[in-house]
Amino acid sequence: MSTIGIIANPASGKDIRRLVSHATVVDNNEKVNIVKRIILAAQGAGVTGVMVMPDTFLIGYKAQEDLKGSRELNIPIEILDMRVKGSVEDTILAAKLMEEKGVQCIIALGGDGTSRAVAKSITVTPLISISTGTNNVYPEMLEGTVAGIAAAAVSTRTSNLGQSCRRDKRIEIYKGGKMLDIALVDCVISKQTYIGSRAIWNPEDIQRVIVSRANPASIGFSTIVGVKKIVGEDDNFGASINVNTGENELVAPIAAGTMKEIRVDEPVIHPLEEMFSMTMDYKGIMALDGERELPFKKGETYHFKISRDGPYRVNIKRTIESAQINGFFNR
Amino acid sequence: MDLTNEKIIEMYRTMKRIREFETNASRLFAEGSIPGFVHLYLGEEAVATGVCSSMNEDDYITSTHRGHGHIIAKGGESKYMMAELFGKETGYCKGKGGSMHIADATKGILGANGIVGAGHNIAVGAGLSAKYRESGQVVACFFGDGSTNQGTFHESINLASIWKLPVVFVCENNLYGISMSQARHQAIQDVADRAVAYNIPGIVVDGNDIFAVYEAATEAVARARSGQGPTLIECKTYRHKGHFEGDPTTYRPSDEVQEWMAKDPLPRAVAYLMDNEILTEEELKKIDEEIVKEIEDAIKFAEDSPVPSLESIVQDIYTDIVEEVR
Repeated sequence: MSTIGIIANPASGKDIRRLVSHATVVDNNEKVNIVKRIILAAQGAGVTGVMVMPDTFLIGYKAQEDLKGSRELNIPIEILDMRVKGSVEDTILAAKLMEEKGVQCIIALGGDGTSRAVAKSITVTPLISISTGTNNVYPEMLEGTVAGIAAAAVSTRTSNLGQSCRRDKRIEIYKGGKMLDIALVDCVISKQTYIGSRAIWNPEDIQRVIVSRANPASIGFSTIVGVKKIVGEDDNFGASINVNTGENELVAPIAAGTMKEIRVDEPVIHPLEEMFSMTMDYKGIMALDGERELPFKKGETYHFKISRDGPYRVNIKRTIESAQINGFFNR
Repeated sequence: MDLTNEKIIEMYRTMKRIREFETNASRLFAEGSIPGFVHLYLGEEAVATGVCSSMNEDDYITSTHRGHGHIIAKGGESKYMMAELFGKETGYCKGKGGSMHIADATKGILGANGIVGAGHNIAVGAGLSAKYRESGQVVACFFGDGSTNQGTFHESINLASIWKLPVVFVCENNLYGISMSQARHQAIQDVADRAVAYNIPGIVVDGNDIFAVYEAATEAVARARSGQGPTLIECKTYRHKGHFEGDPTTYRPSDEVQEWMAKDPLPRAVAYLMDNEILTEEELKKIDEEIVKEIEDAIKFAEDSPVPSLESIVQDIYTDIVEEVR
């Protein structure tokens, strides 16, 4: 029995960054199409069951109905029995339920925020993140068919899991000894005082960027570190950088089609598991993986830690190559 | 985006003014003081307030059958609005238009509209006018999710896009067209998805969050004013009451209503004001009392005003070219 889980966020890819930058638009009917391609590829590659998160657009039901109508569906699809709230809580709960039910791989469709929500719940289930969101540092632009094949290879244990999955880093945010939240890629300390449209796009408002990974070959605020210091996925450290201060003048791709000139300090390296703190000298908000989430007040102290307790991420190419070597495609 | 405390307080005042106006309109309608139909804006206050707060006084809006909130947010005066609801001579339309036809061209309010989808065309016309005159004015076109199945929606956005007109299309998606849930009349969940077909930006915002709406509207208005053309902003929101006063709303599941009532934009705004120490409880109470008094005065003004004269029945119907009908 090999089962995969699919979480498709109907709200991803529609925020204000389509207005303030030139971010990709992914409509929900295309998400249904991607889910159908995942299911068909997984089914063709040996998966025996699929679980899908219920959502307000009924992505899972629509995919199921279409595939039944075209007589292409041969395996059972279970839409999780949970109350849909139409918020990020749906993703968090669905990921938790899928892991409890023992799916062998979860595929998440969304942006960095969606992957972060899944990562809050899962501890051992390998994750494939497909980009249908905005900044997309964490998820990959990936064809659903390929994702379905990779998920099948993982779930049927045809691929060598040790080689094909790597545990990712994450940023942990603490206050008073309690972990408040996590980010997979970046935590931006902003002078904005309200959550509003959630997305963050204005570099003038930000003071510091903390990253678990950073590369100039991506977009978003993590690139402010990345254009100065590359922090690889395998590196056992994260980094932070003070923004709008210092001597270094940089240009960074902070959003889709948006190159901004920014002044920064030298980046600071943060080894894994080493706690560092910050006492706020103004009120503001922390943006986690591109979305304003955590308001803070002047004088409050927060602690941060880069750990390798993020999700086990599936390396698509390695997984499928390993599967091929093990005869996965032989019939 | 910089927002001064004064601006935030003013936005709260506007939302509270709409809430108070509509709460009283509901009561007065139930008592039989208001003739005709009223469609209340209760629950959607953050949309009109956030959008109109990002606009200039001489900018235009077009409105809908659920227009009280838009008109108040654009500067319409409560007493003339209330008098119009009462059908009194001192009302915005001299008591002959009622709730769904309130207009005030001096404030850029190009009219509420009883016809679903009829505001789109007017907005595009006003946008064309502003562009032709190089006036720098922007038009906000308010409409509901139900109207986006009308041809006028598609024709208007298409023209506005082709001509790069300064129009901000604001969809107030309250999940229902009258009693028909969106899932039963549209193959999409997000009206914003339709923007891509007309090559304009389309975004979704939390319509019950005044800051989310204000941010989006400010960016869209700036875009329109700088000649880059229209934007479609879809505000997810919910009406607290039925489609019209008297609608029993049996078509709405009770848990859905409860979930949305918990997202009421007014308490969320109050929480922000308190948490960020922008107002003390006493200051908030004083503002609330001032608005209660203002609406009480508006009701008194309406009650004390005369009904239109019998002779006025043929006035303001046609232009002077048909003087002979009088």
